[in-house]
Amino acid sequence: MLHSPIQTDAVIIGAGPVGLFQVFELGLLEIKAHVIDSLPEIGGQCIELYPDKPIYDIPAIPVCTGRELTNNLLKQIEPFGAQFHLGQEVTKLEPQPDGRFLISTSRDQHFLSKTVFIAAGVGAFQPRTLRLEGIEAFDNKQIFYHVKNPEHFINKKLVICGGGDSALDWALYFADKVTSLTLIHRRDDFKAAPKSIAKMRELCANNQIQLLIGQITGYELVQDRLSEVAVTGIDGNIQSIPVDDLLIFFGLSPKLGPIADWGLDIERKQITVDTEKFQTSIPGIYAVGDINIYPGKKKLILSGFHEAALAAFAAAQYLDPEKSIQLQYTTTSPKLHKVLGVTPPIFE
Amino acid sequence: MTYVVTESCIRCKYTDCVDVCPVDCFREGPNFLVIDPDECIDCAVCVPECPVNAIYAEDDVPSDQQAFIKLNADLSPSWTSITKSKAALPDADEWKDVKDKLDQLIK
Repeated sequence: MLHSPIQTDAVIIGAGPVGLFQVFELGLLEIKAHVIDSLPEIGGQCIELYPDKPIYDIPAIPVCTGRELTNNLLKQIEPFGAQFHLGQEVTKLEPQPDGRFLISTSRDQHFLSKTVFIAAGVGAFQPRTLRLEGIEAFDNKQIFYHVKNPEHFINKKLVICGGGDSALDWALYFADKVTSLTLIHRRDDFKAAPKSIAKMRELCANNQIQLLIGQITGYELVQDRLSEVAVTGIDGNIQSIPVDDLLIFFGLSPKLGPIADWGLDIERKQITVDTEKFQTSIPGIYAVGDINIYPGKKKLILSGFHEAALAAFAAAQYLDPEKSIQLQYTTTSPKLHKVLGVTPPIFE
Repeated sequence: MTYVVTESCIRCKYTDCVDVCPVDCFREGPNFLVIDPDECIDCAVCVPECPVNAIYAEDDVPSDQQAFIKLNADLSPSWTSITKSKAALPDADEWKDVKDKLDQLIK
């Protein structure tokens, strides 16, 4: 273990709408939480799959986009100072002899928490990979799904695949820093900022970027290294492109991943919970939102909000079995006003 | 509940759906895909991926497509899992708008 674990009362896995509202419900009960998400941004599916699509079924909000919902939730949870740990997937969740849970992430971050809230939706978003027999052997050697160290690609023969902002941003960045730059996209239609597309077209006209419309359908090796990729155009013609490194930006898709290995009761790859506490088969671990299943479950954001509230009350009792946990209202409770940091108007 | 692949997929098999499935529940036959109802977790991520709108929630399957609920369930145990998309069938574009093609299904 590189870093000593962060000790806390609650860890929330997933920073989608339900994970965020879990922060709120725990916060009202004065339980501080750490939130972990595999995406580099807060918002989960709302940001990754439908940031600009209108949502019509959030109670009392006639219409909002995924991004607006996320921003509103972030504003709502501001008083509770939750700490976010983004861009890392939870790989392990292990019960400890003292009753706490050891949570480990793909960035070698560790948490020792008394309770865990799995709000992981349909799983962690992973980069979609290049699909060619045997090509995965070159992952992180010559094929990269993100740029960790830009220096690595300087003065190389670089191939970038994809038609979104990531592909174009990096193509523009590397255009004058590499020996050759080939941009490959399966159609001549880019989903990126119009300014980037215009700049890319300009660099193509100046021969700084070679644009190919098609797909990589094969590769050649020289001494166990990738030396060329074969690109099949939409006209069916095949071109060979010399390559040192490939950057692939095909977007992300969710995968349930290691959750299935944490020893929780699972039904059809979803975590079974009761409907009183939304507790899993392991006491102290709760599952809320799309990841859980119970009789009558409906995968709606509003169901997740309800589940988060009940799970928070259950966890408060679990953390302090002797304490009498009172339901209080944000309209009238001086205690809640204090935790929210608000001064409500006084009515004569 | 589960999601169900319907008639539009027959002789097309674009396979865009399989990439996004978080639980790898698509099964592949010679000219059609099905969803294993025991594996599908109703997340709906595959629905917008299908270029021919072949995928429906079980409760929303059109009345003339109801037979596909049973077909998906019956075919999935013997068909093999497909987890990565591949090229569509060569004549997919010719068949994508054909409505009545259940007789073309190879089991």
